Formats: sequence, C-alpha cells, structure tokens
Amino acid sequence: MYDWDRKIDWSKQLYFEEVEVGSEVSPVSIPIDLQQLVMEAGANRDFSSIHHDRDLAQASGAPDAFASTSFVLGMFERTLREWMGLKGSIRKLGPFRMTLFMSVGDVVTFKATVKDKHKEDGKGIIDLDILAETPKGQTVKGTASVILPTKE
Amino acid sequence: MARKLEVKLAKGTWEEAQTYVGKIIGSKIGADKVEEGTIRRRLETIEFDCPLHYDDEAAKKAGYKGIIAPSTMVLTYVTPAYWKPGDPHTKPDDPLKAIALSLADVPAEGKRTFASDVELEFFAPMYIGDRISCEDKLLDLIHKEIRVGKGAFMVQESTYKNQHGELVAIMRMSMFRYDPPEEKGGQANV
Repeated sequence: MYDWDRKIDWSKQLYFEEVEVGSEVSPVSIPIDLQQLVMEAGANRDFSSIHHDRDLAQASGAPDAFASTSFVLGMFERTLREWMGLKGSIRKLGPFRMTLFMSVGDVVTFKATVKDKHKEDGKGIIDLDILAETPKGQTVKGTASVILPTKE
Repeated sequence: MARKLEVKLAKGTWEEAQTYVGKIIGSKIGADKVEEGTIRRRLETIEFDCPLHYDDEAAKKAGYKGIIAPSTMVLTYVTPAYWKPGDPHTKPDDPLKAIALSLADVPAEGKRTFASDVELEFFAPMYIGDRISCEDKLLDLIHKEIRVGKGAFMVQESTYKNQHGELVAIMRMSMFRYDPPEEKGGQANV
C-alpha cells in the first residue's frame, strides 16, 4: 500500500557506496484531475489545449485531458530527489518514451530501479531504469542517471 | 463561438526538411527569469517538498550558492510569453494560443505530429536571477511507417544556456510528423 502521508527526512543523504544494483527507489504516486492539470499548465507554461481542454484532447484521440512532458519530467525529478537526498544531482532523465496517456482520473505512480553503478572522474554515477504506470498499465518507460556523493 | 485550435505545421516535402538537418531551426529566450515565485508554483503542482528549491541555507549547506530551481524547470524558463506589451490583443475568432515549437517551423510533409522520445541532460544549476535561453537544432530525420501512419521522426537537440553562456542542459526530443490515412486538418499532441 502506498503511504499517502509519507514525509521525507532531508537530513538523510544517500551515498554511492550504499546503493545496491537491483534495489528499488521508493515510488511516488499522484492523482491527476483537471484542476491539477490546470495548475500544472500555469506553472510549467505549456498551454497546449490537450493538457487542459477535455474536448480538444478527446478530439485528438486521448480519453481526456492528459499530463504533459513537463509534468512527467518534474515527477521523475521529485522521485529521484526524494530517494537520493540534497547532495545528489540528476545527471540525465531519459531517453524515455510515453506509451499511454496519463489523463484525468488516473493515479500515476513513478518508479525507478538501480541498473548499474560506476565511477567517472571520481564521481559516483548511478544508472536507473525509470517507469510510470497507472492501473491501466505502463505509461512511461526509460532510463535516468544521477550523481551521488562518495564517502571517500 | 469558441476559438479554435490551429496548429501551424510548415508545409513542404521531406527533401526540403532534409536540408535543415544539422542546422539551427529556432532559438528562444524565457519570458521569466528564474525566480522564487515561479519555483514555488512548480513545487505546488507536483507537491515537491525539497529545501534546495525554497531554503537558501539548506541549498548552501548542500554546496550551492543559494536556492536552485528544479533541473526539469529548464523547459519552463525558455518558454516565451504568450502575449507581451506591444502585441496585438486577441480577437474573438483568433486561434487558441500554442506553445512555440521549432520543429513545427521545419517544412515537411504531414499534417499531424506528436512527441515521442525525450532525453534531458543537466549541467550547471539554475539560480535565482538567471535568464535561460536555448537554441534548437534539427539533428536527424528518421523515416518510418508506424501504427498511426507514414511519416518521420524529427529529432531536435535543444541547448540551454544561462546569461553567462554556461551550459545548463541539453534536450533531445523526437516528434513524429505524419499523415494519418483518413484525416484532414493539423493537430499537435505535445
């Protein structure tokens, strides 16, 4: 069961040495509704009609107004940040592909799994598989890469 | 009477589009600087409680010069204004406003387009007061027939820099431009 009341302890920091290949990042879920999409469009400045106008979204073949690329990027940033702490940084999001609409009424869950870890110029690099899903199926699939501090 | 959606995809041939490969197809500068209000509204919508984006002291403790914007906000910070002083006022039968899209300006075949693969790489952080700009280049054209119709993936590389010329991010995005078997009129799913 997803803990909707979960709180992040930002005093905790994840270090490169602590990460095990195959381990999972705590998933982050968020419900999508029209109000949320409108707030999102106002914040990210993508006013494409398909992201806030039900009729126009449906005319384009979507079931309803649906989430933008900006929203997906932001949610993956949040998911990875909540996992790695303040001293890590996101190196790369993607490539990823959106395979299903995330539209009004959907609860979307963002997930990541550690695929590989290695050092590059003394930096601790973690490569991850990322995905998003709704009860209808997988909506986004791709990879990401973060830089974590090392204990040395 | 409702204003209509009108997506202007530059008309042309795939041969014409090919001549744009490797060239700059557009540049943008953000309407808003990186500032606390824009960051706050972004945190609000994705319910993102990270002190790096609102607590100066916490950001400094983590090694930054001060509050930074979420890295993925780089797209927002190059979005031009939908209206600015000096622009004409919107009339009742004007089309709905659309997001600036460099790939739409490349003459090519196809009445419809949608975004496919996205990849975003991050470099320098974005601080309060930064002004972000970007240049879009057409990287590649990959012809393909997929479920929705026949067309091509148009691959764009956007290079984002701050006012000091420092590299902030690089995005590679592909959009599929195509003609569906039985359809008229332009439509963009971005």
